[in-house]
Amino acid sequence: MARVSKEERREEIINTALRLFSKKGFYNTTMPEIAKELGMSVGNLYNYFHSKEALAKEIIIYTSELLGSELRKINDLDISSKEKIKKFVEVYFKIAQERPEMIEYFLRVYLSNREVFKEGCEGMICISAFVTEIMIFFEEGVRKGELRDQDFFSAFGLFMGYLGGMVFLKGEGILPNGLDYYIDDISENIHYALSYGAKG
Amino acid sequence: MHSPTAQKAKIIWLQGVTCNGNTHSFLNYEGFERFFQRYDLLYHPLFDTELGINDLSKFEENFDFLILEGAVTGNEEFKRGKTSFAKLFEKLAKKARYILAAGSCASYGGVFKEYDPENITGIVFDKESKRGIFKEYENKTVNIPGCPLHPEWLITVLDMLSIGKMPHLDEYLRPKELYAYLAHDGCIRNEYFEWKIDVKDFGYKEGCLYYEHGCRGPMTHASCNKILWNSVSSKTMAGMPCIGCTEPDFPKTELFETKKYMSIPAELPFGIPKRAYLTVTGITKAFKIDRLEKRLIDDSKRDN
Amino acid sequence: MIVKEIIERIEGEAELDFTYKNGIIENVKIKFPHFRGMEHIIEGKSAMDALVITPRVCGICGHAHLIAATRAMEDLYKNSSNDIEITKKASDIREITLNCEIIQNHIKWFYFVMYPLIRSIQKGSQEFISLKNKKFFEAQKAVVQISKIIALFGGQWPHTSYALPGGVMCDPTYVEIVQALSFLDEVYGFFEKNIFSDGVEAFLSCSNSELISKDGDISLFVKNAYEQSYEKIGRSYDRFIVFGENSLFKSGKVLTTIVYPVKTKYVTEKTQTFTYSKNVYYKDKFYETGPLARQMLLKQPLVREFHRKLKDSAITRIVARVAETALLLQKTRDLLKCLDIDAPSYIRPKKNIHKISGSGIGVVEAARGSLIHKIEIKEGLVKKYEIITPTQWNLGNGTKKCPGVAQKAMIGLKDKKLAEFVFRSFDICSVCTTH
Repeated sequence: MARVSKEERREEIINTALRLFSKKGFYNTTMPEIAKELGMSVGNLYNYFHSKEALAKEIIIYTSELLGSELRKINDLDISSKEKIKKFVEVYFKIAQERPEMIEYFLRVYLSNREVFKEGCEGMICISAFVTEIMIFFEEGVRKGELRDQDFFSAFGLFMGYLGGMVFLKGEGILPNGLDYYIDDISENIHYALSYGAKG
Repeated sequence: MHSPTAQKAKIIWLQGVTCNGNTHSFLNYEGFERFFQRYDLLYHPLFDTELGINDLSKFEENFDFLILEGAVTGNEEFKRGKTSFAKLFEKLAKKARYILAAGSCASYGGVFKEYDPENITGIVFDKESKRGIFKEYENKTVNIPGCPLHPEWLITVLDMLSIGKMPHLDEYLRPKELYAYLAHDGCIRNEYFEWKIDVKDFGYKEGCLYYEHGCRGPMTHASCNKILWNSVSSKTMAGMPCIGCTEPDFPKTELFETKKYMSIPAELPFGIPKRAYLTVTGITKAFKIDRLEKRLIDDSKRDN
Repeated sequence: MIVKEIIERIEGEAELDFTYKNGIIENVKIKFPHFRGMEHIIEGKSAMDALVITPRVCGICGHAHLIAATRAMEDLYKNSSNDIEITKKASDIREITLNCEIIQNHIKWFYFVMYPLIRSIQKGSQEFISLKNKKFFEAQKAVVQISKIIALFGGQWPHTSYALPGGVMCDPTYVEIVQALSFLDEVYGFFEKNIFSDGVEAFLSCSNSELISKDGDISLFVKNAYEQSYEKIGRSYDRFIVFGENSLFKSGKVLTTIVYPVKTKYVTEKTQTFTYSKNVYYKDKFYETGPLARQMLLKQPLVREFHRKLKDSAITRIVARVAETALLLQKTRDLLKCLDIDAPSYIRPKKNIHKISGSGIGVVEAARGSLIHKIEIKEGLVKKYEIITPTQWNLGNGTKKCPGVAQKAMIGLKDKKLAEFVFRSFDICSVCTTH
């Protein structure tokens, strides 16, 4: 068996911790538990991440970059803002279903335990890869006259709050249908809301 | 070219469609007396020079520099003395070794182009395109835009050419030695720019003017903060946003406010890709830095 | 017979068409050939753009245009029932920079325009080349120093747009104040060395006879005029008008030395057929504006004495411009010393200009006299913009029976060189006149 590289090992740790944190919460998960799950010594785990907080921070950067790279592919397409919105929704729900722990982590760990991310994750630094793509999407939509100009956060909140809310409802078992069932309507709602009154 | 000991270089300063602002800026040059030891100003419309305006149409000698202040116009009714401006310019342009476009009007058309866009252009350029009325003189023309130009920019170019150093010109015929810089470079507000702290409002020495107040410093090629104005200041140093007066598209409209699309500046610092800019700066101030939030000189009266 | 004369060195060109009768100038038409359509350029733009466009009317008095545009917009706020407030600090800073612009203008006019001319009259035929004269360089150095003061507050001169409705954009410290005072000192020194040997303060309190007895270029000027008996030429209506006010200047009109109040609503413009310049009238009458008008209103003792003796002659006009230079140097020093830098520079108007429709008038005293800007906007966009410049007052063309101010001053002279001298005593600005 090929020797696992340090980089691969690091990613393995991130994915394992991500799963545990999103299932049990940040405070209820300990470093020894994570090490045990990985079959490595606690000492060795600390060689990779010097604290639980540092690990938590790396996870949010990792998920933001993963999501960001998916969104960037969509941003680079030569299609309308309306079509992009639909693709965004699809990608977000796809990740929510294939890797629900990522969305869970964002909602239950990152947003709920801000004190953990105080040092080194000020503002939106740790999620900038993802937020940057949203900004570019908004900016280009307004520039082309397809979206209405408004404050970034009012648009960002509408977009992310809506998608996050749907994933939350799904996670709570409240949604009668699968997420895919809602893609068309949600995309259309978001598009209506963001484009209403646009110049184009 | 002239060696320092050779006879003085001869200059004719002609005006097209102008406000005389470049002449008055030229009059702010601190080495004026020495300047006239190096140069012979044969004609200038404001000074009591050897030649008068009507001597120019009879002037047959070759000379070194034709400095044009003001836009050119093809309108034959626009006269200088008894001759149409266009004819006079053409006549002198042929005799001149170099043509210097002094200011944005002579370079690109400037403010006055807007009244008569059909007839008024710069010498070689018409705004950004090379469609000026006298574009055939491109090879001997150097543009020194600015509204007005800085006297040292003009005299630096004259001095360079006089010692045989041709400036490196950019795509708009501006000397790179002066215009490769941005007005932003050297701005005393740069630390506030880096940390995304906009000025609280006009009238404060602290804060950047780019994010909210329409400053075009990061998009404008000029050495305003390298070679200070009137030797003491610059617009951004004093507190006024850069208005981009050295660019071919001057004057733009809706100055003094930053055009934004969903809170993101419509125009980003020159040559910086959007993704790179947004990644580095983020949408919001990530850090709250007390030193930069505070007034530089505390005084109780103004903070309430 | 009509003799056409192109007049240069006046911020552009003018043409004087003289008609002679029995060797005497019977009439003279004043023509300004270059029109640039500044008002049309502003129309349709955003109101705030006027702060950038209007200074470009004129390279020598652009700052006055900025202040006029700013005041027109402030008036517009008031007329549309929107509060606008500016601090004493902001209005003092505006006054300091505007004073400096007037001072540099007067120095340039005196040394680049009048000085070579009067020397050439004095010397007879010899053409005088000012660029080779030491005076030219000394005057230029003074101009450099005074312009630096504007730059300390406005960032640069010419063409700053640092004033706006609600105040000014700068935020000076004591560094700028003491630098400004030191530049001003150099101009005081220049005044004493060249213009009047006893200096600024003494000049303002001297009498006609003291002035002639001293050294300095203004003394030389007046002496020459008396020696060659042209001290009385250049008289016009002896009617003066001033609209702009600040801590020094007062508004009003002066008829036979009595002062009456004025209102801008009585100002009318009339297009002329043969020149781009428009005539301006106050209740259908021509008035002289500028430094002489201002000094008449201020009752400046030296100017009033000259006026008593010589009425509104070219020499009185020249003395008034020099007296104004001295007064403004004094005033600027006082303003700098008393400036309350701790007060706010700018108070943002509560309502955004894009939400306002209405009109306003801005009046300011520029180097050459009263400058009026009128603005009309609809939701922040300029519908109409009108500029009435000082030189339009002085250089209008009337009829033979009722000539304009400068026209009247030239009619009756024999010599076109003297006519040119009289013409230039008004401080001509072609670019402003036509704009």
